Amino acid sequence: MNALTGTARSARLALRRERSIAPWWIILLVGLALALVSYINRNMPTPEVMTTYTTMINRNSFFRALGGGFVVPDLGYMQAWRSGGFLYVLNGLAALMAVIRYTRADEESGRIELLRAGVLGRQAPLTAALLVAGGVSFAGGAATTIVLIGVGLDPAGSIDYGAAITMAGWVFGAIAAVAAQLARTARTARAIALSVLGLAYILRYAGDASGQYWMKYISPIGWSHLVEPYWSDRWWLLAIPAAVTAALTALAYRLAGRRDLGAGVIHERRGPVTAPGLRGPISLSWRLHRGLLITWAAAIACFAAAAGGVSTLAYQFTEAPGVTVDNLLKAFGGSSGGGAVDFALWAIILIFAHVIALYPVLMVQRLRADESAGRAEAVQATPMTRLRWAAGQLVVAGLGTAALLAVAGVVFGTFYAFLVGDPASDIARILAGTLGTVPAAWLVGAVCMLAYGLVPRASVAIGWITWVAVAVMGRAAGPLYGLWGGTPFEPFHYIPNTVAGAPFDPAPALTMVALSALLLGGGLFALRRRDFG
Amino acid sequence: MMTAPISVSGLVKTFGRTRALDGLDLTVNSGEVHGFLGPNGAGKSTTIRILLGLLRADAGTARLLGGDPWDDATRLHSRLAYVPGDVTLWPGLSGGEVIDLLMQSRGRADRARRQELIERFDLDPGVKARAYSKGNRQKVALIAALASDAELLILDEPTAGLDPLMEVVFRDVVRETRRRGDRTVLLSSHILTEVEELCDRVTIIRDGRTIDTGSLPDLRHLTRTSIQAELSGAPGELAELPGVHDLRTEDGLVRFDAEADALGPVLRCLASLGVRSLVSQPPTLEQMFLRYYDRTRAEAGR
Repeated sequence: MNALTGTARSARLALRRERSIAPWWIILLVGLALALVSYINRNMPTPEVMTTYTTMINRNSFFRALGGGFVVPDLGYMQAWRSGGFLYVLNGLAALMAVIRYTRADEESGRIELLRAGVLGRQAPLTAALLVAGGVSFAGGAATTIVLIGVGLDPAGSIDYGAAITMAGWVFGAIAAVAAQLARTARTARAIALSVLGLAYILRYAGDASGQYWMKYISPIGWSHLVEPYWSDRWWLLAIPAAVTAALTALAYRLAGRRDLGAGVIHERRGPVTAPGLRGPISLSWRLHRGLLITWAAAIACFAAAAGGVSTLAYQFTEAPGVTVDNLLKAFGGSSGGGAVDFALWAIILIFAHVIALYPVLMVQRLRADESAGRAEAVQATPMTRLRWAAGQLVVAGLGTAALLAVAGVVFGTFYAFLVGDPASDIARILAGTLGTVPAAWLVGAVCMLAYGLVPRASVAIGWITWVAVAVMGRAAGPLYGLWGGTPFEPFHYIPNTVAGAPFDPAPALTMVALSALLLGGGLFALRRRDFG
Repeated sequence: MMTAPISVSGLVKTFGRTRALDGLDLTVNSGEVHGFLGPNGAGKSTTIRILLGLLRADAGTARLLGGDPWDDATRLHSRLAYVPGDVTLWPGLSGGEVIDLLMQSRGRADRARRQELIERFDLDPGVKARAYSKGNRQKVALIAALASDAELLILDEPTAGLDPLMEVVFRDVVRETRRRGDRTVLLSSHILTEVEELCDRVTIIRDGRTIDTGSLPDLRHLTRTSIQAELSGAPGELAELPGVHDLRTEDGLVRFDAEADALGPVLRCLASLGVRSLVSQPPTLEQMFLRYYDRTRAEAGR
């Protein structure tokens, strides 16, 4: 039997499953590209305005790092500069997830074993996964190219841009293919591939921020940026990712051809033989979910450190037109004595707060996951019945949320203070402002807990909707949609901007804590009264 | 007299339009090992989950260790241990961690007993749960339950997925428990030999209703032995004996099924007819189950 027998059937199966996943990724890519074309058209309507912007961006290493290099006043280039950072990462992410979904995840669950017992070659699942993921990456790049040509951008540049997007997907598809051979579990494989993606992004970012461009040349994300579509159009640079994709694919095939089904190169670590400390709901929740918190803390710390680099941006803000400062003042509260820099700091703090508000949402969702998977059943038969079990999780989630905001405040405050500000006063000021948002983040989690108690089946969807709604309506995202005044429909709106000098007012915080307690109580009450499992 | 650790009467539970329990009765006396039998979907797990306070009954009464399973769940659970039918564990926790978690959240943990059972069941406690087979996950829950000093053990198909060797260990441990006499066990199972070997009394349910309950000798009237004999003469009065079923003759061979009570008269009769060869086969479990449920279905149809 040929090692590739059955590839077509496997690919058809993967395509069938991809039907409900791939279209969303493609819509996301095209939508983002279009959104940024209209964003640039709206904000930089004349060549003069655009030149003002590009000059400002080129002078500012933070902006350069964010978008990827220096800019030139050209709509196509600006669009690709602004959106590329997202599109390359997103397409890479889509391919990475798809490859692992059809290789290691299926292998771990035993689905491949079932198929391999039939007429299916050893390399067929991997080949099918690469073909399908690569095809979806190509579709994402091609759709973007077509749409951008459609809105009137340079066809050659658009093709180069689409090729750079496609290639980002292919490289990460191949990276994931290798990761899927190394790890025994889909989770570890994803962690490996995502770490490479994160590292690639950081290298690219650091290269652009520091001007040490060699870092960009060793980053898979950097390769796509280096094409510089609509300007240099160095499409031939895509030979680097193409060669790396080929090499990694060959490596993945080699590894896959040598190992047993279900085995990996990295061995699963053993766990402890005893756990004397594991006796109550809080210790259980901590043991189960500490990994999530640690991952979050590390990621938040990285981004907070990067945001500390906003310091250079902040001073350029003072050169911004007065109307911008007025808008910020209107949107972010604070006293008129607060400078533009303070508003920028507050805007960043709110971005962190909105992101961290997802953590309690995920923690409540994990309660539901444990319930529906039946993992909670065995502990329910001990005195750790559902009220204590859920309350333990809520304690860890609540303290974890506060800890994450503290990490964000301390790291961001420290980097900002030492790079630009005054270490004596700024760290405390920024940390206090960050911690001030804790009650609002709790409130978001409390809504999810109520949903979990009342309507467990719908609770995961409600959790996501709640978080997305808060983030979209929130002031951090609001300005992108021209909602400078903010929206009073989300809790973060009511937190006083103490960073920009607004007087501290305990009323909103106390109201939110009381409201959270009410919602949590209601959620626990409903959980106690309904059937479990 | 002490109240029964489990007493359930007229229990009703509906899920949407399905009636999972339809007036179920179950009494488990103190110190006994009680078998809980029924085909898939009969309502065994639903009953157990009501007893654990995970589900709330729609009608009927359920008393567990003298308390209400729903209202007093936390208090009662320190006195019982449970093995779910389908053991799902957190993939990132090792077997040892899960055993400790379950034992310690119940209160005291007997380390020596834990270690003894880990050895007897031949479990590697350092392996993460995601690498365990179904049988090994089952062992984790069994060790945690059997190592506890809970006065009531609720075991929901505890040996599903265990290999025959481990099943023997399980039976040994339950027999030791039974000999001590201070523990009550509710054992839900499909494996009739296991039930016959371990249980003092059994309750058989079907479609959410109790169809029979009693001691094992009561149950034995269900079992029929298949007999095949070569006779020198005609079967004659054999077919007329009470407890002989489905008698048929071909090529000088007589085949029939005999109820346990009828075996003595049957053998005497066979001897008098001049038997040349005799093969007797105890009924397989499937046969017994099928026969029992066929009978009740036939009765229900009448």
